[in-house]
Amino acid sequence: MAPAVLLVAALLYAPFLWTLYLGFHEYDGLRPAEFVGLDNFIRLLDDPALLTSIRNTLMWAVGGTVVPVALGLLIAVLSYGIRGGTWYRLPFLLPYALSGAGLAVIWGFILQSGGAFNDVLEWLGLPGADTRFLLESPQNTLVMIMAFTWQQVGVNALLFMVGLQSIPQEPIEAARLDGASGWRLFRHITWPLLAPLTTVVVGLSLVATLKTFDIVWVTTQGGPGRSSEVLAVTMYRNAFVSHEYGYGSAVALVLTVVAGAVSFGYLRRQLSARRGLA
Amino acid sequence: MIRRLVLIVLGVLWLIPIYLLLVNAFRPPANYDGEQIWTPDPELAFVDNVRAAWDAVGLGPSIAATFLYSAVSPALAVLLGALAGYAIVVLRLRGGFWWFMFIFGGTVFPLQMLLIPLFVSYSEVMLYDTRTGLILIYTAILVPFAAFVMRNFFTGIARSVFEAARVDGASVLRIFLRLYLPMSLPALGAIYILEFTLIWNDLLLGLTLSQSDPVRPIMTTVSALNSAYAGTAIPVVLAAGVFVSLPTVVLFLATQRLFARGLSLGQF
Repeated sequence: MAPAVLLVAALLYAPFLWTLYLGFHEYDGLRPAEFVGLDNFIRLLDDPALLTSIRNTLMWAVGGTVVPVALGLLIAVLSYGIRGGTWYRLPFLLPYALSGAGLAVIWGFILQSGGAFNDVLEWLGLPGADTRFLLESPQNTLVMIMAFTWQQVGVNALLFMVGLQSIPQEPIEAARLDGASGWRLFRHITWPLLAPLTTVVVGLSLVATLKTFDIVWVTTQGGPGRSSEVLAVTMYRNAFVSHEYGYGSAVALVLTVVAGAVSFGYLRRQLSARRGLA
Repeated sequence: MIRRLVLIVLGVLWLIPIYLLLVNAFRPPANYDGEQIWTPDPELAFVDNVRAAWDAVGLGPSIAATFLYSAVSPALAVLLGALAGYAIVVLRLRGGFWWFMFIFGGTVFPLQMLLIPLFVSYSEVMLYDTRTGLILIYTAILVPFAAFVMRNFFTGIARSVFEAARVDGASVLRIFLRLYLPMSLPALGAIYILEFTLIWNDLLLGLTLSQSDPVRPIMTTVSALNSAYAGTAIPVVLAAGVFVSLPTVVLFLATQRLFARGLSLGQF
């Protein structure tokens, strides 16, 4: 008991409180920290890079949640109960085991100017064949969300598969006997039964995407010109590239508050909505 | 029929990046140019490419270090988590629920809240850029999840097991080692596999707390190889990416359902 508590206290709680403290100080790692009140936060409000960063972070949270969850649900529902379903799902699962850095290596290569993604658009006769996707904003954020989607769909499908296997089969059978099938069966029977699980999957995804770091850092380092930065990258850059630890801590605090508020607000809405139904 | 068709079309779409990755990871760097990325090269140079990456950024020492972290930290975390769960559930530690909430609360903070103090204090106490330092922080971030699962697991074991063993005169520690630990091996194994993958794929802590090849975790090394300034040939970067992903890809495909369960009970 004691070792677990000590380890967690020393390496998780103490640093957390320290960052809280540093958020209101100016500190470069050499001279002693100097109390500056809210200056770091006021400076954030005037920082154009921070606004871009917040915009991108929200794009990540929304795009990186809605698309992968919807596609994951689609694949789970389509492949549920058909013969060889596991094999149909395999292509989506392969990417999930890759790390954020591995993902960035692959997609940095596909998305480079004149790379495979441009080729595909050209063959299909779609616009964007000449777009330098990683070099223009907000396209760079959008294509990275696409890469993330490619990785994330499989695990969402897996979660929904587990959900489909554990929901009661009687209502579905009954609806089938009454002649419901396809979309109507899904819309009126399966979807409501899956709702609690969907809440969890969306919640997990929101928390994770708000903290996106690896793929952005390895693909673009937040560039060019800080245009694809997200809050986690801004924090890292302020702290470990510019060595402004107080300012970096302030960004970390903003990220914590945003992530906390979003997940709290989301959960509360979902819970009250469900109580309304019951 | 339509269901299968949609699945097949999407599946093929999903495999295209994998195809591109493999085809170009096997291509000799000399034959690589921007025009020919879609066709496989008759010459298979995967091993040479990995070797080139190995020499360029010290992949070897970095992989050795990462194996150490991914093997040791989850083992420590699982043991500490099991001990904590045992103390709370079986020994009925006073205020056990609050201790549990304290440990589990450790998962709430984003890593970003920890990085600066860790970096500053690690530099002070000479833990910066050491394997010990990384093992410590990895273990700390893994303990709450292990404690969470083990607490649930021990709750499911009948209390009479403990009481009978006490009556027979076994010590508390002996009961833990001889009875509870062996009983919970499946749960411990599941946590271990999930946490192994988590540590293997870490980038952020490695980036912040290490710099030299024998300490730096593998994803940090790969990202250095990938950076635009490194000037590494693309097939070499891709081959390195494939190579370092193999352990977790194999592990994940072998234990899919475990991951789904771990995910749905883990972070929430």
